[in-house]
Amino acid sequence: MIVGKNIHKSFGDLEVLKGVDLHVKPQEVVVLVGVSGSGKSTLLRCFNFLEMINSGEITIDGHTINPKKEDLAKIRAEVGMVFQHFNLFPHKSVLENVIEAPITVKKMKKEEAKKLGMNLLRKVGLEDKADVYPSKLSGGQKQRVAIARSLAMEPKVMLFDEPTSALDPELVGEVLQVMKQLAEEGMTMVVVTHEMKFAKEVADRIIMIDQGTIIESADPKNFFENPQNERTKQFIQLVE
Amino acid sequence: MPDLFVDVFDVFMRTYQGFLEATVVTLELTAIGVVLGTVIGLIFALMKISGSKILRGIANIYITVIRGTPLIVQIMFLYFGIVEIYTMSNFWAGAIALGVHNGAYIAEIFRGAIQGIDPGQREASLSLGMNRKQTMQRIVFPQALRRSIPPLGNQFIITLKDSSLVYIIGVAEIFSLANREAAQSYQAFESFLVVALYYLVLVMIFTFLLRLYENKLDVDKA
Ligand SMILES: Nc1ncnc2c1ncn2[C@@H]1O[C@H](COP(=O)(O)OP(=O)(O)O)[C@@H](O)[C@H]1O
Ligand SMILES: [Mg+2]
Repeated sequence: MIVGKNIHKSFGDLEVLKGVDLHVKPQEVVVLVGVSGSGKSTLLRCFNFLEMINSGEITIDGHTINPKKEDLAKIRAEVGMVFQHFNLFPHKSVLENVIEAPITVKKMKKEEAKKLGMNLLRKVGLEDKADVYPSKLSGGQKQRVAIARSLAMEPKVMLFDEPTSALDPELVGEVLQVMKQLAEEGMTMVVVTHEMKFAKEVADRIIMIDQGTIIESADPKNFFENPQNERTKQFIQLVE
Repeated sequence: MPDLFVDVFDVFMRTYQGFLEATVVTLELTAIGVVLGTVIGLIFALMKISGSKILRGIANIYITVIRGTPLIVQIMFLYFGIVEIYTMSNFWAGAIALGVHNGAYIAEIFRGAIQGIDPGQREASLSLGMNRKQTMQRIVFPQALRRSIPPLGNQFIITLKDSSLVYIIGVAEIFSLANREAAQSYQAFESFLVVALYYLVLVMIFTFLLRLYENKLDVDKA
């Protein structure tokens, strides 16, 4: 569904991604782990073309993208992204947040978009907050709105960049629950997270990134019980 | 002291009809200065944050020149400069000068507000498939505009007071009336005290209205 081949990305002299190969199959849930600064966010942002890769190749749903020639907005619409800090639009109500892109990008009729929006809010358990402004929501509620907002564009893949890292511990569960449900429905997902319980339960594959390269890729059982790389072993000890 | 009060009251009673007319001129100058300044400011703010080096360069030159020279010089320059090529009333020459002057300051207000919006807003919008223009129009600018309102209000008040400088090209706004009254009546102190009170009252009214509006915005957002 989404394939990265030999991705290189530098910021000035700092090479952050050093030839990353990642092949995410349709309906697969891949969890990305790694210490802070290893390049996880950068990789996700490259997949969504918020950062431009220096070399390599990104293929989405069988279509290899040439970022210089193509309409990036169209490509980004197919790749949903959920951010650590939610990034809800504060000047729009919850429902307006969700229906903004369908109306602006897909030119959907307002009535139709509202119906879609309410369905998505129901799905994340927030239909009663439709007319509220984001500032009135808890972190967990904000992140669930952000997920609904992404889903409104019916993306082929969803990228999550530490979606629960900014939340109070008691609010983490409600967000992971929504993500788990999404995974069960067959959404293709790439998730950067430190929630190892979620990784064990939901991931098809766990990938460890270290200093801009993938050093381990295995199903959860093998990842935790039989890690190959020294750095992965250290990491597992650290998080468990 | 009672004498001064009587004198001031005397000047006030003698001039208030003229002052009311002149106040309309002052308010018109201010309104045109602010509206024109806002349009110019918006254009130059967008130029300044654009990807084009040339547009950024032009905007920088404009802002540097306007902020680096006194308004009174700009008024004279525009007045004599424009009138050379195109005949227009003193009033319009003054109003345009105020607009051009304000444009530079308002451009900086808008630019600051736009750049002050969390980059995450732009990224979230782009990630949903909105293009750069849609992102600016629907997500970044509406938020920047809200943040611009307090400094724009401040600029509005500055413009109201700055409009007094167009007396130099003979526009009959309130300061020029006071100036004339002072010369004719030999009651200079009283005349300028009266005009100071006019400005003060106008500024207080605007401050009050702006505060009402800002409070309303806060309520909307919550
Ligand atoms: N826009 C940027 N400009 C310069 N350096 C950056 C930028 N974004 C990330 N980096 C650097 O790239 C490295 C990897 O960052 P990141 O992908 O955010 O790591 P992670 O998400 O794994 O913590 C870090 O050293 C970070 O400082
Ligand atoms: Mg990160």
